[in-house]
Amino acid sequence: MTMRCLMNCFFGVPINAMAATRTSSLWGIPFTLNFNNNNHFSSNSRSLSYISNSTSSPAPRVGFLGIGIMGSPMAHNLLKAGVDLTLWNRTKSKCDPLISLGAKYLSSPEEVAASCDLTFAMLADPHSAIDVACGNHGAANGMAPGKGYVDVSTVDVDTSKLISERIKATGALFLEAPVSGSKKPAEDGQLIFLTAGDRNLYETVAPLLDIMGKSKFYLGDVGNGAAMKLVVNMIMGSMMASFSEGLLLSEKVGLDPKVLVEVVSQGAISAPMYSTKGPSMIQSVYPTAFPLKHQQKDLRLALGLAESVSQSTPIAAAANELYKVAKSHGLSDEDFSAVIEALKSKFQQS
Amino acid sequence: MEVGFLGLGIMGKAMSMNLLRHGFKVTVWNRTLSKCDELVEHGASIGETPAAVIKKCKYTIAMLSDPSAALSVVFDKDGVLEQIGNGKGYVDMSTVDADTSSKISEAIKSKGGSFLEAPVSGSKKPAEDGQLVILAAGDKALYDEVVPAFDVLGKKSFHLGEVGNSAKMKLVVNMIMGSMMNAFSEGLTLAGRSGLNPSTLLDVLDLGAIANPMFKMKGPSMLKNNYSPAFPLKHQQKDMRLALALGDENAVPMPIAAAANEAFKKARSMGLGDLDFSAVHETLKKPDHSS
Repeated sequence: MTMRCLMNCFFGVPINAMAATRTSSLWGIPFTLNFNNNNHFSSNSRSLSYISNSTSSPAPRVGFLGIGIMGSPMAHNLLKAGVDLTLWNRTKSKCDPLISLGAKYLSSPEEVAASCDLTFAMLADPHSAIDVACGNHGAANGMAPGKGYVDVSTVDVDTSKLISERIKATGALFLEAPVSGSKKPAEDGQLIFLTAGDRNLYETVAPLLDIMGKSKFYLGDVGNGAAMKLVVNMIMGSMMASFSEGLLLSEKVGLDPKVLVEVVSQGAISAPMYSTKGPSMIQSVYPTAFPLKHQQKDLRLALGLAESVSQSTPIAAAANELYKVAKSHGLSDEDFSAVIEALKSKFQQS
Repeated sequence: MEVGFLGLGIMGKAMSMNLLRHGFKVTVWNRTLSKCDELVEHGASIGETPAAVIKKCKYTIAMLSDPSAALSVVFDKDGVLEQIGNGKGYVDMSTVDADTSSKISEAIKSKGGSFLEAPVSGSKKPAEDGQLVILAAGDKALYDEVVPAFDVLGKKSFHLGEVGNSAKMKLVVNMIMGSMMNAFSEGLTLAGRSGLNPSTLLDVLDLGAIANPMFKMKGPSMLKNNYSPAFPLKHQQKDMRLALALGDENAVPMPIAAAANEAFKKARSMGLGDLDFSAVHETLKKPDHSS
């Protein structure tokens, strides 16, 4: 199936079903892209109806590699919207809930890629992302002209470029698309996609991104999406570390940390993250929405990015140290807000 | 209601204007008397000294820049102590350390006056718009009596217990703010140096879990190297230093705040102390000032 044919059938949705349309031209063939100009997708148009009439081809077959904290709800949202979905995960049992809802399963990334038109990948780190794309029975082996690979993992720039080259060598298209947002935004279809790479593939998968997310950005060449994600998470990791210092200091000087959270929520530094995480941090519980080990990975990669452009980042460096300490105390799989424990443990050692 | 107002700097001027506009009778004093002129044009009276203001008014608010100014206004000749006494209340809204606040409190109370510390969260614009967050501690009866003034000056007031608690709360909040500003600055700089559009970073941040008014307000001006002061950098660094001292007294590790403090010190050494605290952004730029 050629990309041209894919795009014509993909958007074979009746115009009156959508909120806003605009007509564009690609390869000289006019077609209509059915998504909101502001890249916001209202909830009542979240499911696409893949109406195939007798003159058009069936809707695209979509693969999803990596069914973890993020992959599972993202795939679930696609399934709910009526997408033809095939899964793979290193541990097959994690896919069982989705299989019972109608998703298919194949036993390697290669098979998934071969049987699908568009394949998404949501892996934990650069090593896994490379392995799934380029390793034994990796997705690249199943890619071909007319297909697209969308890597939504958070990795460093070099890893993304490596995967991109490997995929494109097969004639397929590549898009990096890391997301901002953790477990709940994934469940609610409120992720923010930071994409870069093949613009054509971006346009093609836009409706799928709109199912899983609330907004999307196209940032140009491969590497730009990865860099943007790392910058955002560098700021976030530092903010969480600073907030932890504040909570702990307030408690140690005889203030009520709950009042600190309330005061912060009233002022210029009020951020959703503080209101969401503050109460549980005060209780010393850290239900995992974003694993601490991944936050530390992101800080490490961000520091690498900063080094590559000769930029000093003292706050991020100090924050990274705290996450490393937290990891050494066995908190890798807790929510990244558990970094507050790294401050406590320092004076609990005898 | 009639109040005295000592200190007409960036904050004091906006706050006393607000009180005047809401029908309060205000008697003002400022070390540089000419700063009072605009207030007088809007209906304020002048007190020649802090003591004169206290003598005239049942309630007096002070808004000074740092511990030394706050102490001076109280203890020096013609200061607050000369006229404070029974039936009079003193509300110090300056941001100082807990020791300074306690010292002032004891002196006021020993003369029979009542005392409230009430530092604010919010800078110039919230002061102008009456949107400050007021962190009061000390005499509860005095707090209840001056609430009408607080309701004009701010959007929310807290009473946090005994004197010292507000001073500490304010320092903790400003410590987080100073670290956040540095983290933000590192991100903006890294985005630019990595070939991204820093304005796009602002758009992305505004959509997510770490969106906050400070990033939204300061981001665009930082990208234009515009640092006109809403909150002077020297005061932010003072607050970081006082917060670190608080951590020091209680052996609380604060590596992020320590790193942020260093950045603010560096900015001061570059002569940026009177600019907005967002000018710390300049410390990350390469020596030829291209970032």
